[in-house]
Amino acid sequence: MIKVEIVSGPIDFFPPDDNHRQDGAELTFNGRVRATEHGKNITALEYEKYEGMAQTELKQLAKETVQRFPINDLFCRHRIGRVNVGETSIHVVICSKHRQEGIDSMSWFIAELKKRIPIWKWAILEDGSKVPSECVH
Amino acid sequence: MIQVKVKCFSHVKYALETDELELELERETTTTRLDKLIREKAKGKLDGVSLRVAVNQKYVPEETVLGDGDEVALIPPVQGG
Repeated sequence: MIKVEIVSGPIDFFPPDDNHRQDGAELTFNGRVRATEHGKNITALEYEKYEGMAQTELKQLAKETVQRFPINDLFCRHRIGRVNVGETSIHVVICSKHRQEGIDSMSWFIAELKKRIPIWKWAILEDGSKVPSECVH
Repeated sequence: MIQVKVKCFSHVKYALETDELELELERETTTTRLDKLIREKAKGKLDGVSLRVAVNQKYVPEETVLGDGDEVALIPPVQGG
């Protein structure tokens, strides 16, 4: 099953599921906002998306991931708007029969997301000013 | 002439100080030509920033010919996650 959402408020995490009788691995990845960026202190990141295309590309990427790897479930929530330091900006859960395909697919999914999903970060600096983030990691 | 809407994000929005532009262009204008026009408008603020192009919300190759009513986005390096 695939579930992909872009949300504008705090992320509700997908709960652990004890009903996956054929899945030996359940991986969770939470991306959080760091307090520094390129040596500068920040208070938050503000995420913007290309409305429509971001959702379409994210769904397409999730489909490609489950076709490319032998995994059963991929759930992803990505937050848009202001995300304060320490808070979660992306939450991904992947369930698979064995751990290795889960780890490989998680790594690939995140790497591809950072190449093609039209979402950007603005750094909110301590003085309140907002500038495009230079971070591409 | 054709009319296109240009959506601006991240570095492009910062450089042009707008979310969106409405441009009137000559027929047969390509995405590569539009990229050049936008960089000229930015007066150097987009130097060193690579831009991919999406037309009507799909990535397209260089030199794609634009049509009347197209929605175009010049997409700086994306940063999701």
